[in-house]
Amino acid sequence: MLTESILIALWAGIIGIDMYVGLTHIHRPVVSGLVVGLILGDITTGLIVGGTLELIWMGMVPLAGAQPPNVVIGGVIGTAFGIIAGEDPKAAVGIAIPFAVAVQGLITLLFTSLAPLMHKADQYAMDANYRGIERINYLGVALLFLFNAFIAFLPVFFGAEQAAAYVESVPQWIIDGLSVAGGIMPAIGFAMLLKIMLKTEYVMFLIIGFVLAAYLEMPILAISLIGLAIALYDFFQNKDKQDPDKQAPREEEITDGI
Amino acid sequence: MASNMYENPTPATGMKPKQLRHLVWRSLLLQASFNYERMQAGGWLYSILPGLRHIHKNKKDLSKAMKDHMEFFNTHPFLVTFIMGVILAMEEKKEDREAIRGIKVATMGPLGGIGDALFYLTLLPITAGIGASLAVDGNFLGPIVFVLMFNAIHFGARFGLMTYGYKAGVNAISKLKEGTQQVSRAASIVGLSVVGGLIATYVSFQIDYVWKSGETELNIQTDVLDKIMPAMLPLAYTLLIYWLLKKGRSPLTLIGLTVVVGLIGSFLGIM
Repeated sequence: MLTESILIALWAGIIGIDMYVGLTHIHRPVVSGLVVGLILGDITTGLIVGGTLELIWMGMVPLAGAQPPNVVIGGVIGTAFGIIAGEDPKAAVGIAIPFAVAVQGLITLLFTSLAPLMHKADQYAMDANYRGIERINYLGVALLFLFNAFIAFLPVFFGAEQAAAYVESVPQWIIDGLSVAGGIMPAIGFAMLLKIMLKTEYVMFLIIGFVLAAYLEMPILAISLIGLAIALYDFFQNKDKQDPDKQAPREEEITDGI
Repeated sequence: MASNMYENPTPATGMKPKQLRHLVWRSLLLQASFNYERMQAGGWLYSILPGLRHIHKNKKDLSKAMKDHMEFFNTHPFLVTFIMGVILAMEEKKEDREAIRGIKVATMGPLGGIGDALFYLTLLPITAGIGASLAVDGNFLGPIVFVLMFNAIHFGARFGLMTYGYKAGVNAISKLKEGTQQVSRAASIVGLSVVGGLIATYVSFQIDYVWKSGETELNIQTDVLDKIMPAMLPLAYTLLIYWLLKKGRSPLTLIGLTVVVGLIGSFLGIM
């Protein structure tokens, strides 16, 4: 089992990178099913379990940086368990879910713990040290690999059922709490954007965008088009005012009127 | 105003197609150092860095540009090459740095939304659906068909948009050169409308508590908070973070605060 566990860990490490870096989407369960099936010598079962997981988890995509339950670990563990234990694909989904949710929480922690690195990056930027910036990104890739390989290795090596019991022994409120925090986390990014862009004279546009989304439930693209329309209006208004040729007759008109 | 300009204002020589292609490959690492403080900033700087080094031979200018490009950045990874193209064209012309920053901030939000809709909610379900339906029949071509179809469009978008963005940037921006202030103003207007929308759409902050008294049940989220104002908690929390940032709190503290809020909310069973 050691060789298989190591090969599966390697695969999980590679697709753990692919989920955030590269994004060729070989990390989707439908591909993992084939590869894990190859490693464990049962391609057909692997394909069926992977395909089933894919159809069920189709909507698990990272929208606007929010973390869905992790399809990398879920797909690998689900397929491995389906093949090793000879379970039917639906039961494989059941075992994959606690892992997918637990890893979702761990990813939130990983992305939190990487934040201090950004201050190092600021220093490198200040010194125009491009090698430093590159090193930070390669370090991130390495961490993603190790993180996913390690998490995939243990349950396959020690038996998915036992490992699932451990995952379930983590108090549910901690796992839930991390996923709640992950949902709120985008607020920090948006607040940082506001810190860069927001001036008092622009507050109204923030309100407009918020109202369009919160009350009218408009998609972001529609809101950006409305924003663009306002910006164009504003642009041509100001252009007219600054253009002396157009400005002069207008003033005359006003004086004439009075 | 002087600090908004580069020390060496002479436009740099243009980038060759080969150099642009090299940058597309680097853009695959956009999320390598993803984190909750700057999101894709590290990967963004990594992706355009060879371009910046080609443009800014002056070390002080390079350092200025690198510092600006380490600011918060987040967009859809498949569409980022469009922004890269436009920004490199602007850097090359040594545009006002405030305008460069404005364009970057104004394009990343809408492209993020477009990309999610296009790739994650349309392309992925179609291609993965085809692949999975073959796979559940035990056909090994399923995953292969999926990967080929998905990536033909994925890489097509990345390479095509880099060239398109770069050309659009060079042409459009030279026309707008005299009006950089209007451009950054327009960019702020679009950008802030989008951020307002993003707060309401993507910050998920809900109270999951039902108040019971005899026969009456009161769902705090749907019956109270949503009635007062939808997306009230996301807005309030974002403004709280904004205020704390302005007070000089570090983003790290605020990330920690958010984790604690999530854990407490979950422990008390109200979130």
